[in-house]
Amino acid sequence: MSNEFQLSPDEIVKKAKEIRKKIIKMNSYAGQGHTGADLSETDILASLFFRVLNIQKNNLNDPNRDRLILSKGHGIGGFYCTLAEAGYIDESLLLDYLQFDSALPGHPVRQKTPCIELNTGALGHGLSVGVGLALSGKMAKRTFRTYVLTGDGELQEGSIWEAAMSAAHFKLDNLIVIVDRNTLQLADRTETIMALEPLEDKWKAFGFDVQVTDGNDVTKFIDTIERLDMCNGRPHVVIARTIKGKGVSFIEDRAAWHHKIPFGDQITQAIEELE
Amino acid sequence: MTERLAIDLREVMIQCFIRAVQDNVNLVVLVSDSTSTAKITPFQQMYPDRLINVGIAEQNLVGVAAGLSLGGYVAVTANAACFLVARANEQVKNDVCYSDMNVKLVGLNAGVSYGPLASTHHAIDDISIMRGLGNIIILAPSDPVETERIFNFALRHVGPVYIRMDNAKFPVLHSKDYQFELGKVDVLTCGDDISIFAIGSVVHEAYAAAQTLKADSINAEVINVSSIRPVDKKAISDSIQKTKNVITVEEHSLHGGLASLICEIIAEEGLDARIVRLGITQGHFAKAGPRGRIRAFYEIDKNGILENARKLLKKG
Repeated sequence: MSNEFQLSPDEIVKKAKEIRKKIIKMNSYAGQGHTGADLSETDILASLFFRVLNIQKNNLNDPNRDRLILSKGHGIGGFYCTLAEAGYIDESLLLDYLQFDSALPGHPVRQKTPCIELNTGALGHGLSVGVGLALSGKMAKRTFRTYVLTGDGELQEGSIWEAAMSAAHFKLDNLIVIVDRNTLQLADRTETIMALEPLEDKWKAFGFDVQVTDGNDVTKFIDTIERLDMCNGRPHVVIARTIKGKGVSFIEDRAAWHHKIPFGDQITQAIEELE
Repeated sequence: MTERLAIDLREVMIQCFIRAVQDNVNLVVLVSDSTSTAKITPFQQMYPDRLINVGIAEQNLVGVAAGLSLGGYVAVTANAACFLVARANEQVKNDVCYSDMNVKLVGLNAGVSYGPLASTHHAIDDISIMRGLGNIIILAPSDPVETERIFNFALRHVGPVYIRMDNAKFPVLHSKDYQFELGKVDVLTCGDDISIFAIGSVVHEAYAAAQTLKADSINAEVINVSSIRPVDKKAISDSIQKTKNVITVEEHSLHGGLASLICEIIAEEGLDARIVRLGITQGHFAKAGPRGRIRAFYEIDKNGILENARKLLKKG
């Protein structure tokens, strides 16, 4: 089994653009959404779904397929748009985002949407569950990898570090944590609210194999993931430096756009910038 | 009556774990440094690869269990109820219940099992907390036979289950033919004068009180509500309609546990009944000390139940 697309980095960049346009349109239509987070993670999700993850639409029940946990559950908008671009859900479903009893609620619900492993939204949960999944893989001698995409503000949760400690203790080299390091959280810069740096040192001290890359550069990101030594007896963390709101000038790197949506002329401008 | 052999319910639980593995249940048991709390050694010796210790990290305990269930395992957590329901509450809510994982949460040493260790270690709110959550079955066994039946059920049921456990030894109340049925009450003695509802280990106190009441020609119906969710509304309502006098007994806060559950049924069904709720005073932490003294203080021991039953029936 392998990824059904296996796109080149150039082709993934094009897919990421299409996903970003979907995000702008979907959030504007819904009248709500975590636009900043959705755009921050887009290149990471596009790389995962169009190349990295060993998953196929007709094989989601295979116990050996890769798993991805969206620990930053508020990034679900970007996740839905990626699923739509990759054909896991129908694009028309995006119009239902955030509606009453919707198929696409504002945080992940595994009973409703394919490719969702865990109902996240409360921060700091995904890594523990990822540890359990990766551990199950080791115990049952399965070959799948477990990916956990976290936000950076989320790393302020103590449960993340309980999980990190156990990931190294259990020698889970089949676990890959990706930190969407956009340096912004809800209210302000992470370093102003509660400093995370030196972040590499923290993960290293917890026993992780630490890689730092550009999370908005598809080529660099994929290269980092594909070069991981998956037999080194240590869990991996890829600190992916990103820009929150990436791709739209007036949204980029602004805390105010954490939970804001474009309206009127902003929609046109955003789409133009993404063309 | 001859002295009945008392058995630690946790030892029964461990035998159920062992038999489940032998029965091809893909079981994994998780502890948070709580190997001695869970009396897990016999299981650990037989199946060391099926025991995971996450250290003193309850949030991770429950999250990792959820992940193991995603990987195809039947994941059981075994640690003290006080730390499970409080420290890991959000993991229980989101990772297990909301995400509908195949995880069994065992709340060990619940109620005031830890008597003198005081309120950090008491779990007098676990049932109310679990009742506040969606998508979880809530069970509380009373004796060794029921413990075995309940674990045999839970380990083969797919979906979240909470089991409230005690830390002491208890004699057998049930015949060996007893079958646990999810959503059914367990009527230990039939009677027309008063309904005594109890859960967990205080069922023994209620049963003993009923034996003494019989000598006063008072026929008490002792009902063990071991299946708290789903609950047998009809059987509870039928008993109350018959006796019109009700006592509830629980080693738990009067808010949100058995007393609340019975009152909800009385109110919803418009039943004409008088009720005395015995348990830890609402809005209070429980007293600390020897467990027997705590039970006597809150009148959830045999004598307390007896006095309250006599008082209640005298009013009529």
